[in-house]
Amino acid sequence: MLRVRPSLVSNLTRRNAKKRTVAVKTRTTVDPFANSASRQAAGVFGMSLFLMTLGVLFAATMLGYVVVRLNPDPQAPFFSSTSPALPHLMLVSTLTLLISSVTIHATVKAVRAGSMVVARSRAGITLGLAMVFLLLQGVSWFMLWQQKFFIGSSMYAWTFYVLTGLHALHVVGGLVPLTLVWRRVRWGRYQPKNPEGLLYCEMYWHFLGGVWLALYATLWLGSLTWR
Amino acid sequence: MTTIHAPRPTALEVQTDNYLTHSRGFLSWALTLDHKRIGVMYMVGVLASFFVGGMFALLVRTELLTPGQTIPGVTADVYNQFFTLHGAIMVFLVIIPSIPAALGNFVLPIMLGAKDVAFPRLNLGSFYLWVFGACFTLVSLAMGGFDTGWTFYTPYSTTSPAGGVIPVLFGVFVLGFSSIFTGMNFIVTVHKLRPPGMTWFRMPLFLWAIYATAIIQVLATPVLAITLMLLVIERTINIGIFDPSMGGDPVLFQHFFWFYSHPAVYIMILPAMGIISDLISVHAHRHIFGYKFIALSSIAIAIFSFLVWGHHMFISGQSPLLNTLFSLISFSVAIPSAVKVFNWLTTLYKGNISLTTPMLYALSFLVLFTIGGLTGIHLATLNTDVHLHDTYFVVAHFHYVMMGSALIGMIGGLHHWWPKMTGKMYSEALGSTACVIIFIGFNVTFFTQFYLGSKGMPRRYYDYQPEFQVYHVISTLGSYFMASGFFLTAYCLISSLIGGRKAPANPWGGGSLEWQCDSPPPHDNFATQPSVGDCYDFRSLRWDEATQGYVIDPVLAAEAAKHPLH
Ligand code: HEM
Ligand SMILES: [Cu+2]
Repeated sequence: MLRVRPSLVSNLTRRNAKKRTVAVKTRTTVDPFANSASRQAAGVFGMSLFLMTLGVLFAATMLGYVVVRLNPDPQAPFFSSTSPALPHLMLVSTLTLLISSVTIHATVKAVRAGSMVVARSRAGITLGLAMVFLLLQGVSWFMLWQQKFFIGSSMYAWTFYVLTGLHALHVVGGLVPLTLVWRRVRWGRYQPKNPEGLLYCEMYWHFLGGVWLALYATLWLGSLTWR
Repeated sequence: MTTIHAPRPTALEVQTDNYLTHSRGFLSWALTLDHKRIGVMYMVGVLASFFVGGMFALLVRTELLTPGQTIPGVTADVYNQFFTLHGAIMVFLVIIPSIPAALGNFVLPIMLGAKDVAFPRLNLGSFYLWVFGACFTLVSLAMGGFDTGWTFYTPYSTTSPAGGVIPVLFGVFVLGFSSIFTGMNFIVTVHKLRPPGMTWFRMPLFLWAIYATAIIQVLATPVLAITLMLLVIERTINIGIFDPSMGGDPVLFQHFFWFYSHPAVYIMILPAMGIISDLISVHAHRHIFGYKFIALSSIAIAIFSFLVWGHHMFISGQSPLLNTLFSLISFSVAIPSAVKVFNWLTTLYKGNISLTTPMLYALSFLVLFTIGGLTGIHLATLNTDVHLHDTYFVVAHFHYVMMGSALIGMIGGLHHWWPKMTGKMYSEALGSTACVIIFIGFNVTFFTQFYLGSKGMPRRYYDYQPEFQVYHVISTLGSYFMASGFFLTAYCLISSLIGGRKAPANPWGGGSLEWQCDSPPPHDNFATQPSVGDCYDFRSLRWDEATQGYVIDPVLAAEAAKHPLH
């Protein structure tokens, strides 16, 4: 039983009709794929390659962190005498990001099942959680800043801000496609069989969660023995 | 023999519709999603950059004609900018994108019998990233240039007074993503768009090479990207992870840089090796020898390439154990490289060699790559490298492999596919004369530098002992001679556009799919998906006087079908 509002249905067909006329006009672009299923399979494959690339990028950053963390030079210690611990608020932001991974998965499931209304709410929640995550990260930064923990204070501070900042930038970058996906879900533009863009967004989101866990674990382990 | 069941367009149709004439106007190019047009645009960009980079090279060589200042106004600082610009342009704007992005874009989908790459929009995006990267380099010049060497070593790159360091770092960062997206696109294309019948081991070897290259592009380039960003942060706020006074590690930069840049030298050479495999087989009209070995050695090289970066850092204070390991693994890279060389030689042996221009480039490659690869062994040997590191010997080594091999391979490929890309034949006499000039000029320029380096002439120096002058003069004269060869090549190719004979579909007798569609190919390459056989089995091809090209002879094809090669 599909729970789709009439307006959504008409929206769907209207849009498809529009697509068809456009396709006739611009016959000059060729589609290399035989059908949409094979195009989606290729897209998922391409997206996983891209995530692999980003994974290497983050892995290199964490490796660099480990190298300077283990640098034994007594002249230039990793921590300064006033280095605070990692803010506990980050545990909350971690949780937020993980939940958003669950809700985006729920969005995909709902679209696949054809329940567009459920999908709409799940997509909206995901977008909201993403913003909450960024907000919490910002608050954490601000709290540390108030404790005079500046990026130049020590290598500990530098790596902390750069690593969390790098991840936050990727979340900000993810907000753009996430917003687009959310709008498209609202307008009922995804076919249950073939929700390409949504799928790629979901993959990226799980990736961001996974990277954050690894990053957070690294930072936390690195911060342990400083006192 | 490859066969194609698609209806062949008639001569009349060919004239009215090919990818060049399919649509007109600036926007039809600037917004095109056609891999062939994107390939051509890359080619124009790459060759223009090659011209600029080449001019800087000539300035460097001219400055070195005498010890101290030679060109009025060129101080040591300006000289530093010259060689830095030369290196950075040649590496990031020319050689890395030249074969995969320019030739690969044009040829890869056609070789697969596909209509386009898997993600045509992303492909256009990669091209514009390349353009942005190139623009950043120009911006950097306007802001005072950069003098860090193409390697951007810290701490100099974080403290250099030159004003254009940050823009060029951004530029290279953007170029890196252009390269990553191209690689992604090609991997997916090879996996998902191979036609029925084209198993992995029936792909043309060029595709294997591009595929192996793409793996490196996707896995190594992100390390460069993040390294450059860390460098930008450090240069902007004057504190950072490479700064020892804060507990950072400048040698970490070298590790990161070479973790990308050694694999990157294989991003440069692997596609050239792929081209050479195809050129040698086609122009010797003989089935490639050791197909599987050549194909798998590309993959082996791609894997090894990730494990040897430390051979650039033997004197950086790296532990002796690491030095030994890196030295050992570097030697082992020679094995898959030599596997290829021996298979090429065996293909040539008893081949029916046509000394066409592409074949001359392939033969030049064989000589130059062998010299370049063997001198790599000198450098990978710990004790000799202590003497040779940072001398002209290294300069000569990497020019033999980057210019003598990667770039020569790409120029050879350009001549090979030129009739396909433009629909015109160039003058063989001009083309082969230019090749010979380049070959001689190249060796005069760079072989001399092996000698200079082993005598102790350091690289990147503005001034030198008078005893080195005669060799510098020889090298510089050689570079002028070589440059004249490149100008002749340019004349040969450009004049073919105006007065060249119309190219047949298959001028050389190639067996891969691109020789089955017309020259230049139609907009969507193939009307229906072609089916594929062994692309190195040339037995069913016959020279046809009327079209001045090779055609499939039904009698020969039937004969060949009765006696399959494997
Ligand atoms: C048989 C394989 C090869 C071996 C064993 C090898 C070994 C080496 C070694 C040990 C060095 C460091 C020398 C030093 O700085 O003291 C070096 C430098 C270099 N090699 Fe190779 N090489 C090989 C092939 C290649 C190829 C195929 C390319 C490029 C297409 C290449 C490009 C370079 C470059 C660009 C440098 C110098 C980088 C710089 O310091 O600016 N090499 N090679
Ligand atoms: Cu290397």
